[in-house]
Amino acid sequence: MLEIKNLHATVSGKEILKGVNLTVKPGEIHALMGINGAGKSTLSNVLVGHPAYTVTEGSITFRGKDLLAMSPDERSHEGLFLSFQQPVEIPGVSMVNFMRAALNAKRKYWGLEPMDAGAFLKLMREKRKIVELDNKLTSRSVNEGFSGGEKKRNEIFQMAMLEPSMCILDETDSGLDVDALRIVAEGFNKLRKPETSAIVITHYQRLLDYLKPDFVHVLIDGRIVKDGGPELAAEIERRGFDWIKDEVQGAVSL
Amino acid sequence: MQEQQYLDFFHAQRNQLDTCSCDMLNAHRDEALAAFQRLGFPSQKVERYKYTDVAAAFAPNYGISLRKEPFLGDFHAVQDLYGTLADVNADGLTALNTMLVQDMVVINVRAGEQKEHPVQITNTMRATAPLMQNRRLMIIAEAGAHVQVILTDKAEAGQDFLVTQVTEVFVGQGAHVELYDIEDSHERCHRFHQVFSQVEAGGHLTHVTFTLASGVTRNQTDVRLIGAGADAQLLGCAITNGTQHVDNNTLIDHRAPEGTSRELYKYVVDQQSTGAFAGRVLVREEAQQTDSIERNANLVCTEQARMWTQPMLEIYADDVKCSHGSTVGQLNNDALFYMLQRGISEAEARTLLKQAFASEVLQEIPLESLRQRLHVLIEKRFRSCEDCKLCKS
Repeated sequence: MLEIKNLHATVSGKEILKGVNLTVKPGEIHALMGINGAGKSTLSNVLVGHPAYTVTEGSITFRGKDLLAMSPDERSHEGLFLSFQQPVEIPGVSMVNFMRAALNAKRKYWGLEPMDAGAFLKLMREKRKIVELDNKLTSRSVNEGFSGGEKKRNEIFQMAMLEPSMCILDETDSGLDVDALRIVAEGFNKLRKPETSAIVITHYQRLLDYLKPDFVHVLIDGRIVKDGGPELAAEIERRGFDWIKDEVQGAVSL
Repeated sequence: MQEQQYLDFFHAQRNQLDTCSCDMLNAHRDEALAAFQRLGFPSQKVERYKYTDVAAAFAPNYGISLRKEPFLGDFHAVQDLYGTLADVNADGLTALNTMLVQDMVVINVRAGEQKEHPVQITNTMRATAPLMQNRRLMIIAEAGAHVQVILTDKAEAGQDFLVTQVTEVFVGQGAHVELYDIEDSHERCHRFHQVFSQVEAGGHLTHVTFTLASGVTRNQTDVRLIGAGADAQLLGCAITNGTQHVDNNTLIDHRAPEGTSRELYKYVVDQQSTGAFAGRVLVREEAQQTDSIERNANLVCTEQARMWTQPMLEIYADDVKCSHGSTVGQLNNDALFYMLQRGISEAEARTLLKQAFASEVLQEIPLESLRQRLHVLIEKRFRSCEDCKLCKS
């Protein structure tokens, strides 16, 4: 599904990713862990084509296509979805208009007619219930005046509407209390189809308790330095990241 | 001397001007002529005209179609008010309009009368040669009266038009006036609209100026709050592209205590177009406990587009609450990228964000039906014909 090979990327001329390799197959959940500044968010931004990031080397193949050759909206149509760490407030653009524009753009890309207003509103109703998103919120401007938890639930709601094949959850747990975290994570699980893959970026075990990753990767200084199963996340929760750093540095100095 | 052709025209046509007009308008021509001869067109050295080249707009040779029949009407009730707010000796354009105007529209709402439906005046310019129009409007809402007036200014494509308009608005004690001035013309139109308003004690004026499309437009909006607790709300929105130019020059003159004023103007300036906003709020010594907020926000979409903004606050009273501010910026890149990530194309995302920016002014508009209509017109304006489904639906 997704194959990242030797990915190097810079932001403002500074190299952040220094050779990332990662393969995600359909239905797999990969957790990406690491301290601040390791390059986790850079990786997610590069995947969705944020213009501030420049890929200097390497390749990304997504569902057999060259992802780096696509514009951000094409990547979205192809099934890539980023749940933003800090969802943006867009005053004056209603959730309904926003979601309808997004959904119909995707339908157009795949050669489908726009969805009629009745069917669209019905779909919105169904999907928002799953993440317990209030009707009042979906009638407002995008994210405007939403609490932190509501914003994250809104991300999952949008994911449900667009039915992506690959979701990137960028610190979806940050700023959430225990209950909000549970609603978001359970919403994600309910909405996810068996073949949907995910890359979950997080500092903590909490979110992973719900999402149950198949693989855990540790990103340090722009490279994935350690891979493992769910037990690796548990170990990081217990011991932090220093021991991995020591291990890597030890390996290098040998 | 761009003035000469207008003076020549006036002298040559004086007889027909007078014959086919009415006494009230004729009575002011001599004073207006003297003022125009003295003042001429305001140059860009005049502070309130520094953003618009008036003489250049009046330089081409326009035809003026004069009335061929007398202008009949009984203006006794309003003749003492005519020209009292629009001072010919203060402004060359006011003088020119007063000199040449032959007919006018008067909306006079008697004391206590509540107009249930808005009065709409649609002006569609149509000509086979370049045409100049000089228009005059008076709105008088007597004490406690309530009226909504919508002006829509249109022009048929393919011709040059030049318009001067002077509007005087008298809002009586406790009266309520909403004036909506919507220009939807084209690049070959030049429009100079001056609106002089006066609000008496407890009266309320909402004045909305929308420039959806235009060539060169200068709107001057002067409001005097002359009675205690008078209230004025000024709203404006200008959408420009191509080589269009929109200049809004406003003055809110607080002359009495406890007045309130709210002012919001927003511009979306695209391509090589230019926008200008200068808003002066004057709080005189006697205008204690004035409450005034002025804001101008502008979206400049390209490197070539230009926006001048000049909010001014001048306070001589010591017990007031006033603020003023302005912003000039670009579309929010974070919002743009967020929309792209959701699959919305860049062109569509930009359109939605521009519409959202302009819609803040719409939200303030009290007249619901017009608000909805303007929503549609704004959307149409921002969309190219290709991706617009508005005509079909």
